[in-house]
Amino acid sequence: MSTFGTTSPRNPNPNYSFEVAQPPSDSVSSLSFSPKANYLVATSWDNQVRCWEIMRSGNTVGSTPKASISHDQPAKMWPLLSGGQPMTVAMHDAPIKELAWIPEMNLWVTGSWDKTMKYWDTRQPNPAHTQALPDRCYALTVRYLLLVVGTAERSLVVFNLQNRQTEFKRITSPLKYQTRCVAAFPDQQGFLVGSIEGRVGVHHLNDSRQSKNFTFKCHRDGTEIYSVNSLNFHPVHHTFATAVCDGAFNFWDKDSKQRLKAMSRCSQPVPCSTFNNDGSIFAYSVCYDWSKGAENRNPATAKYYIFLHLPQESEVKGKPRVGTSGRK
Amino acid sequence: MEIRAKQQPKSNIFGGGAQSGSYGQQQKSNPYGFGVQNSSQSKGSTDYGSKPNNQFKPFENKWTRFSPIPNTGAPSARQSENQTQATNHKCTDPESCRRIVVEDFENERPLWKLTCYGHLKNAPCDIIGDISYEELRAAAYDDAKRGLSLQSIVERERNLLSSKLVEFENLCKPHAVAPSSTLPDQKPFSGTSSNAFSSFGQLGSSLNMGPPAPLNNGFGQLNSSAPSRQISSAFGTKNMPSENAGFSSNGALRESNPFSPSPSSAQFLRTTNNQSPILSMGLDYTSNANAPAQVAMGVQLATNMQKEDISGDVSIWSKNKWNPGEVPEEAPPDAFVDAV
Repeated sequence: MSTFGTTSPRNPNPNYSFEVAQPPSDSVSSLSFSPKANYLVATSWDNQVRCWEIMRSGNTVGSTPKASISHDQPAKMWPLLSGGQPMTVAMHDAPIKELAWIPEMNLWVTGSWDKTMKYWDTRQPNPAHTQALPDRCYALTVRYLLLVVGTAERSLVVFNLQNRQTEFKRITSPLKYQTRCVAAFPDQQGFLVGSIEGRVGVHHLNDSRQSKNFTFKCHRDGTEIYSVNSLNFHPVHHTFATAVCDGAFNFWDKDSKQRLKAMSRCSQPVPCSTFNNDGSIFAYSVCYDWSKGAENRNPATAKYYIFLHLPQESEVKGKPRVGTSGRK
Repeated sequence: MEIRAKQQPKSNIFGGGAQSGSYGQQQKSNPYGFGVQNSSQSKGSTDYGSKPNNQFKPFENKWTRFSPIPNTGAPSARQSENQTQATNHKCTDPESCRRIVVEDFENERPLWKLTCYGHLKNAPCDIIGDISYEELRAAAYDDAKRGLSLQSIVERERNLLSSKLVEFENLCKPHAVAPSSTLPDQKPFSGTSSNAFSSFGQLGSSLNMGPPAPLNNGFGQLNSSAPSRQISSAFGTKNMPSENAGFSSNGALRESNPFSPSPSSAQFLRTTNNQSPILSMGLDYTSNANAPAQVAMGVQLATNMQKEDISGDVSIWSKNKWNPGEVPEEAPPDAFVDAV
């Protein structure tokens, strides 16, 4: 893998993002912040789950590794504060691709390549409910009451969590190629879907608002078309970020249909990203995402990073388009 | 159509150099444009500037829009490039479908090739057989655990890529694209484990496979009488349901396994005629997933290399069902090939 070329040797990140200490030794598969505090958890292809405490002071951010566990196939719950042993909370017949906690229901939901989605009550070993999916789960997003699953072969299934046994709606993606990620609108009125074709689709659930649906291209560089790996809504401003294979992340406002900020490209893809609970920190990983197959991975020279970016308000706050008379 | 075969050998796109050296906002001139997406059912306006209570003027975005659009043009004059083809496409004419496909492949080929594809948004796929980055990676890691060399893993991946590229090529041929609206169902299998990698999807009629859709999907157990084998034809379930419902015996699909020595990864296919290769990636996930050694993944690629002649006993081609071990490794003689 290439190293960071001409950037400063002190900070390998072209955006001067802060580097998280002791990153994983293989690519990061997911990043999550605690909803309550600035604890960042990363899962990795090195079979470890790690947690850092992130401390912010003014314009700098530091990270302290807190703990790590190794993990194998079943999904486990890892009590961080009490320091207890991880306990298995979910199992599937194939790898679990997505996992989400639904606090309003006190349930976990897992989406797997075994084409099912399961809801788990941590007090029971068996799932509270198993939902068949049209195909392997590739992406999942939950914003109570809305749950959207993106599967292989471009299916998107929407659930109303009050009636989780019934599909609320199933559509074929407005994008033409493989679904990579989905993100529910904070107001649950719809969702975003990102694909490998460098596009994001904005879909409203209400049939009367179908005319407001649109797709847009992003992160295009000449003829190269990069995959959108992650979509994250800012918890406060309801703008969103795209993290892409080309090594960049951008911030967008879907309501005014603008790109708010394009960050500089890092030299490796960004496979995953997330905001913390108040949107003051945006964590993203820079490491190989397999977008060019096995032969482009060199474990000997590969580097795996997690960076923290402190978004400025101008980057993540929605704004009316120039020349408009006011916002919606 | 320019085929971008084998992206991997290309020099690393993540070369440091100029791109990562630019700080601050990138004023890329690439058009990314916001295109209004109409679902196929809606007849709505193709723009979003026409509503009286719309708060913004669509052309005022300081980021570059698709270049031909004038800044102050009337909304209705504005069409982003994907709209010109998608807006009015109704799948009534296979040739117009094909044109969209060709246009897409010339202008909009993503870097990741192991993907499904639908020429019409919100409509079923024309090519199925989605493989995600993570699935490919997991297969590679499992292969490595089983002792396969990097070279063979790379070769497997490249083969997947080649056959997928051929699928896309074939879709561009005349009469390859069936209008989506006339196709009954996206998933030819009614079985529980649908085929992860089919080269045909909706294209059965044009690809010499005959009406029985399951044939198109190519793989799946040729023999359901091996209950102890925990192979699933796609990702997933423990015991193989009888996937070969409707599986024809005409020898269109066969097994050849250049990669995996172990019988447990016996999912192979091979095409005959000039059909697109069919991929199969057999994943064996046992229910107790704590035994990584049991995860067997073999990816076998069928390529259309049906050039060999068969000599000797050809009665195998007349059988309705093959048992494990008797599956021929070579293509059938032409006489046995279904020429529908």
